[in-house]
Amino acid sequence: MKKLFTLCLCMGQIFVSFSQATSLNAGDYFGDLKARHIGPALMSGRISDIELHPKNSNIVLIGAAGGGVWKSQDGGVRFTSIFDSYCQSIGCVTMDPNDPDNTYWVGTGEPWTRNSVSVGEGIYKTNDGGKNWTKMGLEKTDRIASIQINPKNSNEIYVGALGALWGPSEDRGVYKTTDGGKTWNKILYVNNTTGCSELVMDPSNPNQLYAAFWEFRRTAYSFNSGGLYSALYKSTDGGSTWKKMENGIPSGKKGRIAISIAPSNPKIVYAVIEAEKKEEKGLYRSEDGGDTWKFLNGDFALTVRPFYFSRISVHPSDPNIIAKAGLFGSISRDGGKTFKSLGSMHADIHDIVFDSQIKDKLFVATDGGLYRSLDGGSSMEIIENLPLSQFYHVSLDNRNPFYVYGGLQDNNSWFGPSASPGGIEARDWELVGQGDGFRVYPHPTNPKIVYSEMQGAEAIWRFDVEKQQLKTVKPYALEGDPKLRFNWNASLTTSKHHPDRLFVGSQFVHVSDDRGDSWTKISPDLTTNDKTKQNQEASGGLSADNSGAENHCTIFTIAESPLTDQILWVGTDDGNVQLTKDGGKTWENVTKNIAGLPANTWCYHIEASVFGKEIAYAVFDGHTKNDYTPYVFKTVDFGKTWQSIATTEINTFVRNIQEDYSNPNVLYVGAENGLYITLNGGKAWAPFTNNFPRVAVHYLELHPTKHSLVAATHGRGIIIIDDVRPINAIKEDMLTKNLSFFEVPSFTLPEKSNFGGTASENQFVGDNPSSLAIVRYFLPKRHTFGKMTGEIVDASGKTMCNVEVGKLKGINTVVWGFNASAPKVAKGKGFSAAPAPFVSAGPYLLRITKGNETFEKAIEVKYDSTSTFTLADREKQQTATKELITMIQDLAYLVYQIDQWDAKATEYKTKHTKTEKYVDALRMELTAMRNSLVVTTGDNYVGAAEDQLREKINEIYGTVSSYFGAPSSSELANIRALSNELNKAKKQFGVIQETRIKAFKALLEKDTSIKMPEILSFEEFLKQ
Amino acid sequence: MKNFAFIVITVFTSLMGFGQSVETIVSKYYETIGGARWNDISSMKMTANVDQGGMKIPLEIVSMNDGRMYTEVTFMGNKIIVAAFDGQKSWSTNFMSMEAEEKPADDSENARRASKEFPNPLVKYKELGYSATLMGEEKIDGTSCFKIQLTKGTVLVDGKENPNIEYYYIDQENFVPLLMESEILDGELKGKTSQIKFSDYQEVNGVIVPFSSSQGIKGEESQSIQFETIEMNGEVDQAKFNFPKK
Repeated sequence: MKKLFTLCLCMGQIFVSFSQATSLNAGDYFGDLKARHIGPALMSGRISDIELHPKNSNIVLIGAAGGGVWKSQDGGVRFTSIFDSYCQSIGCVTMDPNDPDNTYWVGTGEPWTRNSVSVGEGIYKTNDGGKNWTKMGLEKTDRIASIQINPKNSNEIYVGALGALWGPSEDRGVYKTTDGGKTWNKILYVNNTTGCSELVMDPSNPNQLYAAFWEFRRTAYSFNSGGLYSALYKSTDGGSTWKKMENGIPSGKKGRIAISIAPSNPKIVYAVIEAEKKEEKGLYRSEDGGDTWKFLNGDFALTVRPFYFSRISVHPSDPNIIAKAGLFGSISRDGGKTFKSLGSMHADIHDIVFDSQIKDKLFVATDGGLYRSLDGGSSMEIIENLPLSQFYHVSLDNRNPFYVYGGLQDNNSWFGPSASPGGIEARDWELVGQGDGFRVYPHPTNPKIVYSEMQGAEAIWRFDVEKQQLKTVKPYALEGDPKLRFNWNASLTTSKHHPDRLFVGSQFVHVSDDRGDSWTKISPDLTTNDKTKQNQEASGGLSADNSGAENHCTIFTIAESPLTDQILWVGTDDGNVQLTKDGGKTWENVTKNIAGLPANTWCYHIEASVFGKEIAYAVFDGHTKNDYTPYVFKTVDFGKTWQSIATTEINTFVRNIQEDYSNPNVLYVGAENGLYITLNGGKAWAPFTNNFPRVAVHYLELHPTKHSLVAATHGRGIIIIDDVRPINAIKEDMLTKNLSFFEVPSFTLPEKSNFGGTASENQFVGDNPSSLAIVRYFLPKRHTFGKMTGEIVDASGKTMCNVEVGKLKGINTVVWGFNASAPKVAKGKGFSAAPAPFVSAGPYLLRITKGNETFEKAIEVKYDSTSTFTLADREKQQTATKELITMIQDLAYLVYQIDQWDAKATEYKTKHTKTEKYVDALRMELTAMRNSLVVTTGDNYVGAAEDQLREKINEIYGTVSSYFGAPSSSELANIRALSNELNKAKKQFGVIQETRIKAFKALLEKDTSIKMPEILSFEEFLKQ
Repeated sequence: MKNFAFIVITVFTSLMGFGQSVETIVSKYYETIGGARWNDISSMKMTANVDQGGMKIPLEIVSMNDGRMYTEVTFMGNKIIVAAFDGQKSWSTNFMSMEAEEKPADDSENARRASKEFPNPLVKYKELGYSATLMGEEKIDGTSCFKIQLTKGTVLVDGKENPNIEYYYIDQENFVPLLMESEILDGELKGKTSQIKFSDYQEVNGVIVPFSSSQGIKGEESQSIQFETIEMNGEVDQAKFNFPKK
């Protein structure tokens, strides 16, 4: 017994110490602090796979290259993300043919193996149409190209796993489960460099399978497609045995192969083969289930870039209609003899899927989103609500609202606002570059000047947005220089100290002090200059692919110290970290000091600290060497020593780190699977998942004055956490207090108003930030039992209005619209509203009542210092508003009294059939008076009655109270006229009270069965 | 050694709270909110002042144990039934004409199907023939919860039957729901997830009810209602449920 007690005690201690160790792990305390998405979706992003419901054309699934899984239930009009909590790199989405309404499988890891491709983390299944997902294994396959499900047995599933791109791996080939994914057997494996790039099943005979195997490998500096192990295989016994198909198939080395069966005639099989000989590359057709093959066509559209476009689709009901993915996409209606291009759309087509119910309807997945055609591919329309944009980078300016700048995979360079009337729409984004876009920067003091670049620094532009002047400003090789080597995503940045200064990295650091007109080289070659990694001309394998994507031994990141212009940190893609402390005169390679970092690991980002010249963070990405370890290091001594600050809580490779500007212990890391935050300098990290999908974050930027953390995601566009100050202000002692307010700045009363946005119903619109007063506080525990309410109180102690209060564990939010309470409006027909007026500048108090406890936070409201309105203007507006509120409430009280007496007179009338005449007269007078004061008939649309006094006062009140300047003379004149009218009415009612009501009261006193009306006082009436 | 391993496993499982069946969790939830005392509740009237930018709109929601309900707002002194179910028909008021209009037939049928769910479908799932499944444990805004899937048969949308599924997240410490989720099956928001968050649980007539709920779309803004009063078995104007005669 004693032993058991001791054991329990030990267990208890384990739990206690566990609890203590994690008490400051941010993950439990983000509360209601959430991210917002601003897209954009106008260029959308790369989509890797499309799946259509076999019997219901309304159901469409897509898998995005970096943006997760989306579902449409209306034939592709609108899409909803259904996979936010999981890996966003998708290889394949498949509906179970036995249960296509509910059961979907998702293979993660995109199979279109470009240099910027992300990685997967296995296979998932849902049984309820995407509401809940279960991981079903194959975690190490990296990228899944195909999932085939027996149409007669949902438990029998085949998976074509392409496997690792960046290194050898045995986790690839064809896998089979016969127990619905509980266990998997690898039933076809070739070797550790050759994976299954396509797997198809004969729909009429699920034992008949065709598998394309591809020998491939990518490094940071080269790509190879093809080898002797690439081949086409067929099984006729459910994968027990496989036979290589060779009759009519080119011999020798082969590269990537696309294969597809004609569902309406499964004997007809098409394959597009990347062959060794040019004349053998192209489309092959078999009419005997793969026993023999015949070469049909070697058109460019069929053979272009096999690694990127190896997908061929056959129409469900016509074996001679086939469509081939490619640069533009093409379609044949004669069984592959001839092709024509699909209609105009974004280039780089990855998948084409025909609708099985509507013959001419098809969907196309491109580098620039999803397209739909209703006429067999002649005309294409883009789906405008898929914010899948793949940013490489983001920078910010100092405008209000601030703008974000960034470049995207195959989708140019852009800038757009972080806030816009009605939300951030497609039209808000401005194009500032071509090609693949990467780093885009505004001039630090003149945001009308924007710098942008395209791949491999083929061009670096300086663009005057206002004058629409465009100049190429890239540095060129000087006499005696070697060829300049620029990364695909070339390093470009502005200076924090010299507004006209620009830095560009080739293998050298180039500096311009005249906005790029002239350049000076301020470093030697800072890379390893390894010649074996500079033969990009030979890249591609069987199909040359020298796009610049493999350029290597280049500078990738340049970080100027925010504290001095003399310190520059440089990171290279071949693993060097170099430092100059004298503006480039001398350089020191500090790479060797980074213990635990494998040699030649890509230095992706260096963050020079604001807290000390000697402090910097360096992030390394080893995934191009098949190393998914997160490498995050910190130095506090100019790189002499480095400390690793990544923990196992970050479970994949990382690309970026952002320092908090006010709390040195708070850091933000952009990882391949999302955003991580530490509150303690890297001792513990937590993923931030409040409306932040598990998407690859390529770059993070923190706005220095707005405190917004902005993430450039590679698949879900720009995601913003508007104000991270509560995160950096969480302190351990908050856990011991019932409620702790975070500091708040003074709030500026917003004066802008607009007519909203213009986006059509099905276009994506990015969320705006709140422009209201936001107060945040910390709760150590969620509020569950008892009341918790909030109110705003003015300096005199008067309650202005009630506010909603957050009740979650951790950070909570109160939003106040700067409003007081709305005036009480007279009862009448229709919706003549009088909104709440804005408060004036001054001190206020947020009061939160939680059970028996009260918590208060002082708030200061001020006027916009840039406003054109004077204080005198404001006083006139406030005086007029107050007068109108008095008029509105006086009228309300007047109508209330009329209603009370009218009701009583009516009651009397129903009881006394022989009524005194003057009771009828009283009722008539009251009715007539009410009819002149408020609308009593009509509807709220075109049947509305003529406006009466209530409607007229409310109208001028709305006009005056919603504007911050002085009322105009005509507005004041209108107020005077209405005031006179109201006074006349009050006087008239006074006469009625003295005459007919007085008489009526005398009648009532005689009849004790009818109570005298209990007329509330004006004050009581307002409180009612 | 074998005994030691057994003890370790036993201690761990008891400490970790594993082994809670969905029946146990729902039963604890039911007991927490009053258990059999709910059998004595025939009506629930909730009142609130919904704050729309400083404009207070009085709200009254009445739910009967036979499924009838109405929601009434008072706007400019006018009482308007914005949603009602009289036991057979669902109806609402058209804000243009200010006249009552019957809701689509699907809505009425769905309301009829749900008419025996008072006080809520989870605690009565067995009696109603619904199925509840413990999906696992999940943190909701940092608080550990049991996730329960409640499958309630089907719901009609545009004349077609659809699965009718709700997810309840029950606070592991207090055994009350903090969140209820369901998929929106109709309209422009089809496919998105509706969320209702509950808090401010308080005792009324021996039963526990949330005085605050916040409703919205997952990942987007929400609107909360803070109930000022909740009255059980109080006076109810029976006429308010009924579709007005024109």
